[in-house]
Amino acid sequence: MHLTGEDTMDLQHQIMRIQQARELIAEALQGVDIPQIEAMLRNADMELHWALWNLGEPVALRPELDYAAHADMS
Amino acid sequence: MTSPPLGSLNSASMGSPFWNRLTETMPRAQLDNLHLHRVQALAHYAYENTPFYRKKFDNAGLKPSDIRSLDDLKRKVPITDKSEIIELQQQRPPYGDTLALPMDFVAHHCETSGTTGLPLAIPYSTYDSVRYGESWVYGFWGLGIRPSDTLYFAFGWGNFAGFWSAYWGARRLGCRVISGGGLDTKGHIEAILRMKPTVLISTPTFALRIAAVAAEMGVDLSKSSIKFTYHAGEPGPTALPGMREQIEKAWGAKAGELLGIAEVDAMAPGCPLGDGVHVNEMNLYSWSMDPTSQDEVPDGEIGENIVTGYGNTAQPLLNYRTHDLVRRRSSCACGRTWSKLEGAVLGRTDFMVTVRGTNVYQTAVENILNKVEGISMHYELVLTHEEGNDAMTVRFEPEASIDPDNWQQLASDAGDRIHKALHVRLKVVPVAPKSLPRFELKTKRIIDQRPKELRRALDR
Repeated sequence: MHLTGEDTMDLQHQIMRIQQARELIAEALQGVDIPQIEAMLRNADMELHWALWNLGEPVALRPELDYAAHADMS
Repeated sequence: MTSPPLGSLNSASMGSPFWNRLTETMPRAQLDNLHLHRVQALAHYAYENTPFYRKKFDNAGLKPSDIRSLDDLKRKVPITDKSEIIELQQQRPPYGDTLALPMDFVAHHCETSGTTGLPLAIPYSTYDSVRYGESWVYGFWGLGIRPSDTLYFAFGWGNFAGFWSAYWGARRLGCRVISGGGLDTKGHIEAILRMKPTVLISTPTFALRIAAVAAEMGVDLSKSSIKFTYHAGEPGPTALPGMREQIEKAWGAKAGELLGIAEVDAMAPGCPLGDGVHVNEMNLYSWSMDPTSQDEVPDGEIGENIVTGYGNTAQPLLNYRTHDLVRRRSSCACGRTWSKLEGAVLGRTDFMVTVRGTNVYQTAVENILNKVEGISMHYELVLTHEEGNDAMTVRFEPEASIDPDNWQQLASDAGDRIHKALHVRLKVVPVAPKSLPRFELKTKRIIDQRPKELRRALDR
């Protein structure tokens, strides 16, 4: 099954939107101090990372270590 | 903004024959580009986060940055064996030097059943469990299982990764789940009749066991609500076509199978064509190796399946020996480009016994027994060592309907078929129906009575 040019355009647009969503979540995570909400945002970002992985994007192996690194710095 | 539909997926998604048409049909060159990127990332990650891989790479004089191609992975990265991990876990429980994440990240602990020796401890992070579960969904979807289905889990949960991961998959797909944990076989039958699930999840031998007990109760499960059965944990309907016939007839359902390795992934969901499994190439990279020379074996020839998993980041594994003998194909009439393992696992490198110079594999014998009318699914292969040679005796239960006067003829027929197909004479012995042990999880087929020093380390 081959993707048409239109499919590829749609796919690129979808990938871009997901990347933007991750950036928004990263912003929302800044300074969050409600554990329930922080856990939800991390889960949301994990799902979006997984979506990018399964769209064939060369993303990092896992996002959780990024969270840990950020937590250490804050 | 339009509202998303309540409940299920939208009609375009629901009509797809693939769970992810983009990646399941991705051209090989594109898949391999992704694999290289992911293998390189995993090598760096494993080297930087586990003393086990740092030592392994250092001993080989290798740095992760030396992996510039997939051939480099095959030729330069040392092979990892389960026995190494178990040894480290014994020295420093629970995970030895193989854990790549802080313990805080370990969200779920499982263990292998220990059918080949000591159990292996397996840590999973939350994300790992998501990735692992996703593998099941490819198989569920390909067979025709949809979010509107109800899955019945016919097993006690315990620490068995196989069906925990099936549960993770059911959650990903959005199915209804009914747990039969803790019930006996009769209880499972009553629960199925009462709750009317549409999918049975069990080991394949237990599916047959439930059907046999139901028949004794006067219940015909082929008329029940079950539309699909899905199996893992031991050779099933893909590896053993005779078993597929029996399961599908007994349950009046379509049977599916998944090939998994607890410490890696539910790695190869069944092909909808029923004649093999497709490696989930989003979760792992795999290749075939000659178990003796460790050289790569080309597609179409039998070799040991060697896997590098991206999904278990708590305990990463590169170039990991599965001991499964497989025949790989690069294309399939179903449209998937993911590597196809024809007939799933054809044999085990470690469940092979050499009888008078002939390599005899467990699965080969099982396939022959399945074709002999009158021989039930209850049999065991007894390994002994006689006069300096390994020997195998097949002990089987005839179907209850067979007259005891005909048991010996049945044994003789099976022995002839084994001789014709495998060029070796095995002793074949009938035993009374219901005399062999029954198992809810993996059926123990191999009874190894050889002296310990003559067995592989993990079989002792």
